[in-house]
This record gives sequence, C-alpha cells and structure tokens, in this order.
Amino acid sequence: MTGARPYLAPLVLALAVWVYGPLVWTGALSLLDWDLTSPDPEFVGWGNFAALAADPRFADAVARTGLYVLGMLPFATVVPLGLAILLWRRPGRASHVYRALLFAPVVLAPVATAISWRFVLHPLQGVANTVLGALGLPTPNWLGDPATALPVIVAITAGKIVALNLLLFGAALAGLDRRLVDAARVEGATEAEITRHVVLPQLTRTTAGLALLCVVVAGQWVFTNVALLTDGGPDGSTDNVYHWLYTTGFTFFDAGRASAAAVVVLAALALLFGAGALLRRRAS
Amino acid sequence: MKRSLPAAVAAAALVLTACGGPSADGPVEIGFLSYNYGTPDLGGAGMAQLVDTFEAEHPGIRIVPRGVPTAEVLTTLRAETAAGSPPAVAQIGWSKMAEAYASLPVTAVQEIAPPDQWAEHTAGMAQNVLAAVADDGVVRAMPFGMSVPALFYNADLFRAAGLDPDRPPTTIAEVQAAALAIRATGNEGVYVAIADAGKSDYLTQSVVNSAGGALVDGDAVTVDSPEAVAGLTAVAALTATGAQPAIAAADAVAQFGGGRLGMLVVSTAVLGGLERSAEGVFELRATGFPRFGDGPARPTYSGAGLAVLTDDPREQAAAWEFIRFLTSDRGFTTLAETIGYLPLRPAVAGAADPRLAASLAQLEEVTPYTAFPGENANQAVVALQDEAVEPIVLRGADPSTTLRAVAERIRALTAS
Repeated sequence: MTGARPYLAPLVLALAVWVYGPLVWTGALSLLDWDLTSPDPEFVGWGNFAALAADPRFADAVARTGLYVLGMLPFATVVPLGLAILLWRRPGRASHVYRALLFAPVVLAPVATAISWRFVLHPLQGVANTVLGALGLPTPNWLGDPATALPVIVAITAGKIVALNLLLFGAALAGLDRRLVDAARVEGATEAEITRHVVLPQLTRTTAGLALLCVVVAGQWVFTNVALLTDGGPDGSTDNVYHWLYTTGFTFFDAGRASAAAVVVLAALALLFGAGALLRRRAS
Repeated sequence: MKRSLPAAVAAAALVLTACGGPSADGPVEIGFLSYNYGTPDLGGAGMAQLVDTFEAEHPGIRIVPRGVPTAEVLTTLRAETAAGSPPAVAQIGWSKMAEAYASLPVTAVQEIAPPDQWAEHTAGMAQNVLAAVADDGVVRAMPFGMSVPALFYNADLFRAAGLDPDRPPTTIAEVQAAALAIRATGNEGVYVAIADAGKSDYLTQSVVNSAGGALVDGDAVTVDSPEAVAGLTAVAALTATGAQPAIAAADAVAQFGGGRLGMLVVSTAVLGGLERSAEGVFELRATGFPRFGDGPARPTYSGAGLAVLTDDPREQAAAWEFIRFLTSDRGFTTLAETIGYLPLRPAVAGAADPRLAASLAQLEEVTPYTAFPGENANQAVVALQDEAVEPIVLRGADPSTTLRAVAERIRALTAS
C-alpha cells in the first residue's frame, strides 16, 4: 500500500465494523424469519417485504412519517431563519442573551423534557388546561385524542429543532458578505428589500440543506417524545416508521420484518438523496 | 525484564481472580430482574428489604437486583437472552408468561427444587393458585406477586355525594350510579384502569369473565363473543355517561391519589402507593371487583411469577433458595404489608391489609389467567389493548365492530 491508504485504514475499518457491517447484517436479517433468540432462523426470501407491503399499519406509519416531515419543515426552516435574521439585524448584548435563551432547549435532556411535558399536558391537572379552563376555553386531552396528539408531538419537538437550526442560520449569516448589504443601503433599499433580495438569496444553500435534513430525520427527532408520551397511540395516530420499526424489532422481536422495514427506509432515503443530487447538478 | 507469554497470561489470570472474577468456591452470584425493585410506589422498598434479609441469612449467595418497568420485562429478557446473559431469576408478569415460556430458556422451578423441599414448601401455599398457574401439571414459574383487581374508593367523596361508604357498590350498574352522584359534586366519578401502560389484559379478562365470557376458549380466540362485547360496553358506558373521565390510567391514579376521583378499579398491587397518597388527604377504602350482570364477579389475577433462566446447576440451586425465601411466610408477609400483593399462604393471610378482605375472598375463587396461544401471545395482548380496549373504553369506538376487527388480527397472529 502506498500514499494515503494506510492513513485511511483505521477510518475504513471503523466504518466497516460500525456502519457497513450492520448494514449488510440488516439486509441478511430482512430475508429471515427470526426472533433473535430461537436457534433456527428460517429463510423466507422476500416474504418479509411482501408482508410489509400487505400491512396497513406499516403504510399508515409511512404516511404519518410524511406528516411529521411536513409538520416539522416550517420549524426547521422558516421559523429559525426569521429569528436568526432578527437577531443578526440587531447585534449586541441583548442579541447574545436572546440567542442563549433560544438555544437552551438543545442542551436539555430529551427524556426529562418529555416527562415535563407529560405534567404540563395532563388533561385534568396540567398547566396548559388549567390556564385554558380559567380563560373559559376548551380543554382538550392533548395526548389522548387522535386529532391532537400528532400536532402536539410536533409542537413540543419543534423547540429543540428551532434552537439548533437558529444556531446554524446564525453561522451562515455570520459569513454573509456585508458589503452587498451596505451597497443596497446606499442605493436606498428598505430593510425588507435588503432581506428579500440580498440576505435570503445568500442563505438558499443553508435553507435547502436544513430542509433536506428535516425530510430525512424528522421521524427520528420525534422518536423520544412518541416513545415516552404516546407509545405510538392513541389509535396509532402518532406512530411513525421509526417507532414502528423499533416496536416490531424490540418489543415483538420480529427481527426479519423490522429489518425489511429498515431496508425499505434506507432505499427510500437513498432515492431521495439521489434525486436531490440530480436536481442540484441540473440546476448548476 | 523478559517474561514468557504463558507466564504473563497466568499472572494476568491471577490478577483478574483477585479482582473478583469467578471462583469455584466463592459465593455464588445471581442476577434478579424485578419490576418492583427500585420503584417508589410499587413496593421498591419492600423488595429491597427482602433482598437484603436474604443475603444476610445466606452469605454464600449474592443477589444482583435490577429494576425494569413492567412493560419492558419481556423485551429486556429476550434481548439479554439473545446476548447470552439473562438473569438467573426474573419476575415476569402473567400476561407475558406464555411468550416467556415460548421464547426464553425457562427451567421449571418445580424441577430444580429437591422434591422433598418442594412438597414441604408448597404444602402451605394456596393450592388453587398453584393449580391455576401450572403448565401441564408442572409449576414452571413460582406464583409470587399475586393480585386481583379491586374497587378502591374515597369514603370522603362518598359522604359528600350522599352515599354510604359502608355500603360500596357491588355491581357495575351501582358503580355507574355512585360515580354520577360523585360527579354531581364537582369531582370525577370512577376509573376502571382497563387500558394501562403495562399493556396487560388481566382487567380486560376480569371484565369479560365476569360478563360470562372468556378471551380464549381452548385454542379458539373469543374476544368478539357477545359476552366480551357486553362487558366492554358496560365499561364504555361509564365514559359515555360522564361517570368516567377519558384519560390515561396513570393520570387517573394521580387523580385518585389527589382526592379528586371517587372510585378506582385497579390491581390491589397499587394499595401501598395509594395509601401513601391518601394519608392525611382522604379516607381510603377498598372492596371486591364488581359484578357484571347476574353472575358472580370473576376477576383473574395479575402480578407475576418467578422464573429461573439459568442452566448452571450452582446458580439454579441458589435461585431455588432465593425463590423459596421470597415465597415463604416471611416473604409473603413483607409483600402483603408493603405492596398490596395477596399473601398466597393461608398461614399469613392476616398480613394483608384488612381492606383487602373482599379481594382475598375473591382470590379463593380466582379464575385462571388465560393466554393467547403461540409465540405472538404478547403481540396479541398489545393488539387487544391498543386497538380495541382503549378506543372502546376511552374514545367511544363501537364495541362490536372493533372487537371483531381485533379478533381477526389476533387469530392471524396466533395462527402463525
């Protein structure tokens, strides 16, 4: 071996052991009927994939994953972008304080946060319904009603995503070419025009990247809250493909079907990324 | 300094042994997985006390206890079995036992106990319970934390609603009437904790049995029988009339503990926790599971058995000693006094809280817990609870069509 290869070996080895090895093993598992403990796994070929295709619960979980993506997209893009621009426009001590306050949710322990929300959203004694009741407004069973459970999960997950993406947009704004902004001001452009025609075009790549990230991992972002607050219920209304996969694999120990679902998710994401790359190449 | 490889290996082995590695004549160490251990309200203190007492009296055996939430016991045990390191003794809920037998390396406790010790030990136990849990005539998991569903009630709210706390309701119709009277005073009426986070169907079975049906008849799945529909319809009517709040079981238990819910139908196992909540707040009382219709109340038991998951003879012997201690007169006395489990030894029946007298009497006639057949028993129970019981009881789903749909799913699950 010559050149850089020996230096790459540890990284390649780590990837092989921790990423590609399990990936191949998942592919192999998806062709078996096995509960991880019995001594005789049975080869079923594409049987697990056929069962997935015929399972309306999996189809529902996939559809709800899409709903989570749609629900999270504004919180991954528009909201943090707006906040970041507001903070960027007014640099100074106040801006630092606000940024720190807005970033706080990122460093809170997800499990502790979820349990805190359980108290806040308690249908009879929770802070939310106590306040609403005092104002004479309806007091829904936030996590117990299939109509409200998914939007609530999105809303309580959103805080963390807004905070994280605010930081990333802030970093992108820090690298903005201020000379263009100054030039626009000299030309008499209003702040709104500067934002629209000067700032936003320079943030397009960041926004697109964060939107794509949201599409890929929105289902994983909400996992902790789904697992702790609703366990996929009520009536499966908050279940998504990742929670379905986890439950199938590690509660019901249907390792084959869970692995088949993982392969399907992986293939879908690969297609998505491939399409994205193709579009970018065409655009440039 | 030069040293040969074998010498280095031997030296390393000596160091490891000195650091507490296994040795043939040292104390035997056995893992114990329990869903009571470490909990604030499900007898964590009582279980820790039992472990400490056992270790003090058996210096040759070390227990390594670990607490796991009820719903995760089977998952944890299956994962650890897959990894090759299950604990020697595990407390497994009866609703998960069928799947545990099918998927875990359970050695029947009756087969690891010396026959004379087994005969002597079980002679003083409730024979009907031993018979109820036996599998083909062999006790595979030792009955341990046994409880039946009971009706707990707040005597103060009864009085405030003009009801007599000395004459609690005995039928589901009376429960509904009492709940509506309590509701009229501005408090919540009743909550039947039939759909809880533990995903056990012991209360579902108790309701369906009391309505004259069963979830399983032989190997046939009968969750959509007219009796099952009638039983769940009666519980759903509580919600529909406003007698029962449509909230999660954990929220209802908190409401009851806070003195804002009149009645709670739940396992006697929560008595200890309820008592602590009620202290200085309200007068807590209990009575037996209500009747549904003309027949007698036929509650089934919940709680757990102790299963042995080790094939090491030394560990098996230690596991038997531990199980023998936990299910002795002293063990059941501690369980009854600290948790609300029912003592399964008539000699110490007096250890139970006097408020559980009606439940103890019902235990005499306890209906065996029935498991769905096959390896997917647990998945079938979760489907029943999540896809039928909860939507029917809390959200007004039609009992007949919902139970029929879930029955089809359970039949498919249990047929494979």
